[in-house]
Amino acid sequence: MTNRNDVTGTKRRSAGRRLLSAAAVAALCVGAGTAFAATPKNALVMAWNVDAISTFDPAQVGEVVTNEILQNTCDTLVDFDPADERKVVPSFAERWDVSPDRKEITFHLHKGAKFPSGNPVTAEDVAWSLHRVVKLNFGNAATLTEFGFTKDNVEQNIVAGDNTVTFKLDKPYPTTLVLQSIGANRVSMVMDKKTLMANEQGGDLGNKYLATRTACVGPYKLTRWNAGESIVLEANDGYWGKAPALKRILIRHVAEPGTQRLLLSQGDVDVARDLTPEDLKDLEGSKDVSIVKVLRPQLFYWGFNVADGPFSKEKVRLAMRYLIDYEGLGKTVMTYLGVPRASFAQLGAVGALDAKEGQPFKLDLDKAKQLLAEAGYPNGFEASVLFGTLPHANPIAQSVQQNAAKVGVKLSLERMANAQLFSKVRGREYQSAMLAWQTGVPDAHGNASRLVFNPDNRPEAKQTQYPSWRSAYQDLALNKQIDEALLEADPAKRDALYATIQKEVMAKGPMAFMFQMNSVAGVRKDLKSWTWNGFRTYYELATK
Amino acid sequence: MSRTAIAASGPGSEPGRAMLPSWLKASGRILASFAVTLLGLAALTFFIGRLLPLDPVVAVLGDNVTQEAYQAMYRQLGLDQPLYIQFGRYIWGVLHLDFGMALTTGKPVMADIARVFPATIELASVAIVIGTSLGIPLGVLSAMYRGSWLDQIVRVVGLIGYSAPNFWLGLMGLVLFYATLGWVGGPGRIDFTYEFDLEPVTGFLLIDSALAGNWEMFGNAVSHIILPASILAFSSLAYISRMTRSFMMEQLSQEYVVTARVKGLSWARTVWGHAFRNIAVQVVTVVALSYAFLLEGAVLTETVFAWPGFGRYLTNALLAGDMNAVVGCTLLVGVIFVTLNLLCDLLYRVFDPRTR
Repeated sequence: MTNRNDVTGTKRRSAGRRLLSAAAVAALCVGAGTAFAATPKNALVMAWNVDAISTFDPAQVGEVVTNEILQNTCDTLVDFDPADERKVVPSFAERWDVSPDRKEITFHLHKGAKFPSGNPVTAEDVAWSLHRVVKLNFGNAATLTEFGFTKDNVEQNIVAGDNTVTFKLDKPYPTTLVLQSIGANRVSMVMDKKTLMANEQGGDLGNKYLATRTACVGPYKLTRWNAGESIVLEANDGYWGKAPALKRILIRHVAEPGTQRLLLSQGDVDVARDLTPEDLKDLEGSKDVSIVKVLRPQLFYWGFNVADGPFSKEKVRLAMRYLIDYEGLGKTVMTYLGVPRASFAQLGAVGALDAKEGQPFKLDLDKAKQLLAEAGYPNGFEASVLFGTLPHANPIAQSVQQNAAKVGVKLSLERMANAQLFSKVRGREYQSAMLAWQTGVPDAHGNASRLVFNPDNRPEAKQTQYPSWRSAYQDLALNKQIDEALLEADPAKRDALYATIQKEVMAKGPMAFMFQMNSVAGVRKDLKSWTWNGFRTYYELATK
Repeated sequence: MSRTAIAASGPGSEPGRAMLPSWLKASGRILASFAVTLLGLAALTFFIGRLLPLDPVVAVLGDNVTQEAYQAMYRQLGLDQPLYIQFGRYIWGVLHLDFGMALTTGKPVMADIARVFPATIELASVAIVIGTSLGIPLGVLSAMYRGSWLDQIVRVVGLIGYSAPNFWLGLMGLVLFYATLGWVGGPGRIDFTYEFDLEPVTGFLLIDSALAGNWEMFGNAVSHIILPASILAFSSLAYISRMTRSFMMEQLSQEYVVTARVKGLSWARTVWGHAFRNIAVQVVTVVALSYAFLLEGAVLTETVFAWPGFGRYLTNALLAGDMNAVVGCTLLVGVIFVTLNLLCDLLYRVFDPRTR
């Protein structure tokens, strides 16, 4: 027994020595692994929260991360000018002709382009790509149906010719608006029909196939996507256009902003996309990192269900606008994140009021109290405010709650998962809610057509894609004005019409718009030409 | 008399049962309990998932969708069917190892789990090795030298390990060891430079890089795993050392320990050779439980370290209302616990002859 113990003890000691040796080797390995190099010279490395990606089908995609990936992998007919998002420039269409009555636009396409699969890109691919968006009827179909294209007529009205594609419109819409709304939008991304139809499942036009990959032509191609992990884009060698300077785009999913900041500070990534205002402030004076920001067409607003209760009264809704501390929040919670904006038309859009006219409100409790008294609520009322997981939603809601309490309005705050919030708002199961809305068009019509225009307010109509319907708000006079503004040919008159609509909506609309959001990023200074505007980020223009 | 005779003959003498060997009966019992546990777990998760106010259709299609498209997807996901039919279909799929498609990734849940689980196993395994190899000796030494400075240190370390949030420890660890000292790799399983040079074989980066003979990459992977694994190991260490200390103190108060000492056996040999053998079974249970908790996925640690593991996948699925993924992951957690319990049972037999 004693001997056995001795032997075991000897074994233990030798095992201990081996363990120590192994630990020393491991420590050396750790040392070797810590020779941290800068990011590769030919690659752009980003830290970004890319959890939201669930498909790469342009017909279905509805969130900003995937949209940005697709914009860099799939060409559209035209593109937003990097220097001025209100202008469009040629992309897969070299040029376009417009008929005198503005009801026909013919796009002349590049010749000789090939998809990464090797299939040639044809006019038929371009037309088919647009048809499938309407036929699949996901949310993005509205981008086309708003211009009169339906499942029944889309094949007759978007027609492939000899290296051309022609749009036949039902009304003389402003050409620039059509180019911005459809031509530069993901709905016109050129898809590889042959590949998608070969992988079609149950008539889905390749929708399931695109859940995990792309099949289109663009400066980059998606070569790897591991959900919740990383994305790799590689330069498309056979691309018809100018080859991008950086051969690889490497995106690592990093959900925690603090971790993004560390990676950026250490030079392990070139760009961090989800930094908090505190991180951005600390990095402001850094010699290695620049803070870049650009206004994007996203509005954060407090929406009211006007079906019944206090919010059905215009004066109550107006009073709520005077409870928002635009200035104070803009300087604290929203520093870097956004700018105060009370108009539905985002700054930078065609027809939008300027910064001053588009934000006439300030915190004014007396005014709010007076309006409440005029509306029949001198002692206030009780209501709930729902909001989701946006980091700025909670402090903004709390600020409004505190101000409201001072005029007798008791607001109960309820935070929930975004999916739950959307369900409640879509079902009109709420009193008020704070959430965001983003348009894809740098024109006042983009938001007017959804946030104000409501084609049918009946509950059973279920026009859930219209936030105006979700608010149970319909103003037939405003509907008419929006239609008129849309078709007005004279740009000055059009601007005037939109100015009137914006002022009316600020006074009585169902949403108190609060802030227009920025896209903000921390960018290492050795990355040159980081180029973006409110609608696109141009990876192909970045250099090192 | 007859009762005694029956008792003496035992159950093996009953007609029919005599044909079944004991190992087969034991296996049958285990399998039956396994199946019932998993079925219960699946039912519970499935029905709770259906009661949650999360809309899976919105998770798939997003907010900006027409009612027509919404209804079409609602039907496609089978949500228009009665709950018992939905559950029946789900269980039928599970029996064929088909957990359905994850709504948030567009991939089969099984494929997603196969992708994220190795990252968690690797992290949890390194953490449990560190936690156990430090926790057990510290617990034993703490009991041996009760009240000493060593005991006090172990108790304080244990207290910190219990109470300090991993999220905070992770961030502080990154600031100190990654950003300031540069001793370890940053967030993620490996540097981007290496990430695309390796074709995954097992999914475990340490093993794959070693199999490929790429020692530079192996070193890089070690430099990335060492910090999150140490953070996780810290909590395990706290739990294991405190429990070991408690078990050991109970043993050290037993008479056989005094007898062994009186007979001239050294303190160390008394503790390690006799007392420790008697607590081995309990320690194994504690270690197995710690490992099971680590395998469930340490969500916050995985988030801070951008570790693409199981915990983060499950949390994201839950927040997005992706119930296929949630139920699939829950079943896997159930399998982990049941399997580790079985392993514990087997180890009891190894360590404790009375259970054989």
